[in-house]
Amino acid sequence: VCRETTVESSMKRDNKPNCPVLVPSVILHSRYRELAPHLVPLDYTNNPDIRVPLALIVAMPELKENPFRDRIVETFSEDGHGNLSFNDFVDMFSALCETSPRELKTIYAFKIYDFNRDSFICKEDLRKTLNKLTKGDLTPEEVTLVCDKSIEEADLDGDSKLSFSDFENMISKAPDFLSNFHVRI
Amino acid sequence: MWTDRALFLLCRCVSSCSSSDDEDKQDERVDSNDPEEMFQNIQYQKEIIANIRTRPWPMRRKLKVLKQAREIVLRYEGRLTRTRGYQTAGADVFSLSQMFPLSCRGHFGSGVASYFIFLRWLFGINIVLTIMTGAFIVLPELLAGAPFGTTRSKTIPKEHLASAQDLDTIWSLGGYLQYSVLFYGYYGRLRKIGSAGYRLPLAYFLVGMAVFAYSFIILLRKMAKNSRLSLASASDENFTFCWRVFCAWDYLIGNPEAAESKGAAIVNNIRVRDTHTAHSLDCPYPVTLPYTNILVLLSLAGSIYIIYFVVDRSQKLEQEKPELTLWEKNEVSVVVSLITMIAPSAFELVAQLEMYHPRTSLRFQLARVLVLYLGNLYSLIIALLDKVNSMSSAVSNWSDSSSFLATISQPEVDSFSTLVSDISVSEHHNSTIATIATVLDVRNSSVSSSGSIFNQTALFEKNTRSQQDPCWETYVGQEMLKLSIIDMIFTVASILLIDFIRGLVVRYLSDCCCWDLESKFPEYGEFKIAENVLHLIYNQGMIWMGAFFSPCLPAFNVLKLIGLMYLRSWAVLTCNVPHQQVFRASRSNNFYLAMLLFMLFLCMLPTIFAIVRYRPSQHCGPFSGQEKIYDIISETVASDFPLWFSKVMSYVTSPVVVLPALLLLFMLIYYLQAIARSLKFTNNQLRMQLQTERTEDKKKVFQMAAARLQAPEAAVDKKPDEQESDITSQEASIHTPSPRRNGSVTNFNSPVRRGNSIRTITQSASRADLNRGRGAGSVRSPTVTILPKHRPEHVPNSGTCRSKSYHHMAYSPPARYSDKIHSDPLYRKTIRSIHPVEAAGIITAQSYGGRRGPTTRYVIVNEHDPRKKLLRSATRIPRHYLMEEPAEILELYPRNFKRYPPRTAHRQPHPHRPQPSQPHLSEEEEEEDKGKGRRRMSLGKTHRPRSLSDLHQPAHFYIGDRGESHASMAKDSHTAQGRYSLLVRSRRHIHSPGRHCQSPARTRHMEAYVKPKTRPKLETPLTESDSASLASSSDQQNSSTDQYIQVIHNKEHYLKSDARQGKLAKKKSKTSFDLNVTESNDLVCSNV
Repeated sequence: VCRETTVESSMKRDNKPNCPVLVPSVILHSRYRELAPHLVPLDYTNNPDIRVPLALIVAMPELKENPFRDRIVETFSEDGHGNLSFNDFVDMFSALCETSPRELKTIYAFKIYDFNRDSFICKEDLRKTLNKLTKGDLTPEEVTLVCDKSIEEADLDGDSKLSFSDFENMISKAPDFLSNFHVRI
Repeated sequence: MWTDRALFLLCRCVSSCSSSDDEDKQDERVDSNDPEEMFQNIQYQKEIIANIRTRPWPMRRKLKVLKQAREIVLRYEGRLTRTRGYQTAGADVFSLSQMFPLSCRGHFGSGVASYFIFLRWLFGINIVLTIMTGAFIVLPELLAGAPFGTTRSKTIPKEHLASAQDLDTIWSLGGYLQYSVLFYGYYGRLRKIGSAGYRLPLAYFLVGMAVFAYSFIILLRKMAKNSRLSLASASDENFTFCWRVFCAWDYLIGNPEAAESKGAAIVNNIRVRDTHTAHSLDCPYPVTLPYTNILVLLSLAGSIYIIYFVVDRSQKLEQEKPELTLWEKNEVSVVVSLITMIAPSAFELVAQLEMYHPRTSLRFQLARVLVLYLGNLYSLIIALLDKVNSMSSAVSNWSDSSSFLATISQPEVDSFSTLVSDISVSEHHNSTIATIATVLDVRNSSVSSSGSIFNQTALFEKNTRSQQDPCWETYVGQEMLKLSIIDMIFTVASILLIDFIRGLVVRYLSDCCCWDLESKFPEYGEFKIAENVLHLIYNQGMIWMGAFFSPCLPAFNVLKLIGLMYLRSWAVLTCNVPHQQVFRASRSNNFYLAMLLFMLFLCMLPTIFAIVRYRPSQHCGPFSGQEKIYDIISETVASDFPLWFSKVMSYVTSPVVVLPALLLLFMLIYYLQAIARSLKFTNNQLRMQLQTERTEDKKKVFQMAAARLQAPEAAVDKKPDEQESDITSQEASIHTPSPRRNGSVTNFNSPVRRGNSIRTITQSASRADLNRGRGAGSVRSPTVTILPKHRPEHVPNSGTCRSKSYHHMAYSPPARYSDKIHSDPLYRKTIRSIHPVEAAGIITAQSYGGRRGPTTRYVIVNEHDPRKKLLRSATRIPRHYLMEEPAEILELYPRNFKRYPPRTAHRQPHPHRPQPSQPHLSEEEEEEDKGKGRRRMSLGKTHRPRSLSDLHQPAHFYIGDRGESHASMAKDSHTAQGRYSLLVRSRRHIHSPGRHCQSPARTRHMEAYVKPKTRPKLETPLTESDSASLASSSDQQNSSTDQYIQVIHNKEHYLKSDARQGKLAKKKSKTSFDLNVTESNDLVCSNV
């Protein structure tokens, strides 16, 4: 789904709507249109500015079980509120696809886990992550413990929060990050 | 929080601006006409195109850049690229990954996905194998080989012709199927076929070997790639908790049930981190172990015996009965498949008896099943080869007698002597198999009379009935294909029965049953990933084993895999629940591959053994008439290559060459292994070095500091440059051992990251710029010189003051950006409330607020200054010094103090000349120490107040101590203390912009290398739980505070001396702050 052709062909679509488009982006666009048939047109001649709201995107079967679905969509939306244009949509699935490189995935994973978008993963972010992950099954003490331990493990510069390089260093050694951090459409 | 956010936004703006600059640059570059530049441009654009996916840009920008790049490339490079583009597009359309319905992967997570990925990968391999065999063996034979029915090996014997189309014959791969391209026996023995002279036998042999070679290569490559991808194996570091948090969720999961179980698994995983491992370590041998293992061993032995027995029985049946029933024909493969199906479940039951940890039991289960599969395959192939043995001995009998009969029937009047010679000739041909007994027997028969000939014919008839065309290769191929087919049927049946029907029953009968079907006994079928993958491996092993004897086996396997994939995905979607103990996908990736490799090796052995050991059938197959199958190579070399080549080959294959080559190989292996070991050692060494680097650094720095202390003071004053160069050299020596810090980016980053050293950088820059007399330089230096003066005045004070100052600092950051004037009153107020008398203190505090803005900018301005590296390290010097020997510093201190007055006096005439940078520097260092100390202390937020309170007492104590000497200064120090926390807090804000401004991803990458360096230092505070480390760190803190206070004393002294203008200065500073927020030049003047 997510080769470079998606980029290429969606670009073609933006410019010349009549040119033959390749299969993957057709699939992607049909998925995109499924979400909001009343919003998304098939004709992009005038480059209309269409954004599908977060609530609709999050209901996709690929995302609906994901505890971080809101964050994922927000991360990839250009306006930061979770409204996705088709470009953002393609962007999202190309970053989350199987073949996208580790560096890119790392960048976006960091953004996703950075809840308050201060470009650091602080304890509060970690706590939110954990609570979403476990749906509140852990006691607050356990959550605090895990947060502290995680920060202790990965924080290299000692500012008690994880900068991107901390995160990258940690995630690059994770055995199943690549296999887990991908969504197939 | 607020500041960080604001800074982040700011930096985003900056980065976007710079990126737009980039784009402008691109446009400019397009316009240039220089061919060299054009070429480079094209390369650059291509790079952009290639790497566009790795950029974390929004899609809009990606598209824009890509479009631009493409246009440029297209315009300048011509049509070549475009055709290539179409090719890649075509490849994408037809790429394998698009062909499969892998939607199921989206529901059960990566565990199930790994099964399907593995399946897909195997499918790819089988496609290649199919193409190899199809293109080089099957197609030539079909196109150019002798047509069906022309030769004896290609005709169905008359007595079988009637039943050749019966369903059961076809089903057991007899009849027409037996005499088709499916099997070895059909292929002609002609050395060259067709008009082009295609050497089919040679191709057959080479392709047979190439199948194995290709499989090996592709497997090993995949494994190497996998291990490269998973860097985890390369490092000992583990981030258990982090991984559990950040990598736990499987983004592929789209099924509520799977999500639920995954969530539960994550919770479990987090909760009982160590208990599992402890458990498995505690009782590695449960009580039930002997029984269970004996049970498993027994079942393994039983399965092997059954297989052997069945093969033996089928052999006997074939010899005794003229017509076999359908069951008897398929008995072997059915039994094998049954065992393959039932035994794993039995093993699972057995595994439930033993109380292993799930992971361990899964491993045991996998190992047992693998052994079972291997045992099955091996016992089957051994039984078959055993049968082949007996068959070929029978064949030798038969062929003798047939030739004998032929000679008898053809010429009526042939002498016995010729007969004998004939027979002996044939005997010589078959020397290996035919025993002397038979020779004697034949001789006897030929010598005696036709009576014995009748005997022979009787034997012959018996033989013809059982195996009129005994082609053992075909037989093995048949068995393998049959096994594969039956296996497929069993798999399908098990999916339908065990999964589907069970699912139906459970779902629809659970209402009318007295217990809950869904959760208790039958449940829904689990999708057992590990066992299913093992089954795939087993299946592939079968293919490898039989591929040589049945060239169409890979093709069949392709069909089988397609069917299996669709059926499996359907079953997984409809009637399976995810396995509760998921075998870790990525880690198991190489595990599965390793098993596959093992399987490949073990399955290759029988084939190789058969090729080397057995004589090919005499009347069928491409190698008929040869002594050994591999003779085809030597024969081809001898007959079809020039003479010199065969000579060379004979030399090469002689022991003279082979033995040294083997020896060389061994040596090479040993050498490589030694290198690998040494590399590992080096790796460890480097890691150790990284860890100890910190302490090394400290030691050297200490030496350096000591040397500096011993140097005469006058020299310091007169030749600061010289001394600095000295520092430079020492610094260089420090930096050389660590190879990571060589990059200039690193050097740039590190000062930025430690916001504390910014000031030193600017200082050096101003120094460098001084001679040139640049405006910027002059602006910078004053701000620097200001720092040492006001900084030291902030020393921790009583709790109330501290909290107040904190409060204000919390507001100041936004003020810096939005409206500084707003924050100004706040400042003044607090400062006044703290100490209304102290004027100088207020000045400094306010100059602070004004100064903060520029600081960030300096970092950017001085980006290319090469000297900052040196100075950065120089700033570190006293810190280490302090940390290690706090007592020394007290001595160090007065010097700085002494130097103080001359410096300021010096400065008066040259306001922006930082000539006495040495003392200056040291003070800043101390400040930095404080900042560092603060950072250490504030590592855990909960500990901060504690550490601060710890801080107080010694600080007061020292004040009292020093109060004797500087009696007049006591109160000053007291007030100054009050703002210590303020200072620290604000400093943190100062260096935070430095962090944020390095938005480009590349610098971030470099950061990663810088970071480990800081780690060792932080380790003490990280283990905050033990109070000892905390105490020690607070001790360090105290020591630095002491000095701090002293500095303050000195400086205050100085300030007081010319602070007749105290009030005046205060007012001035206020105004200067309001007016020159960005330019603190005036501020300095007013201060001085």
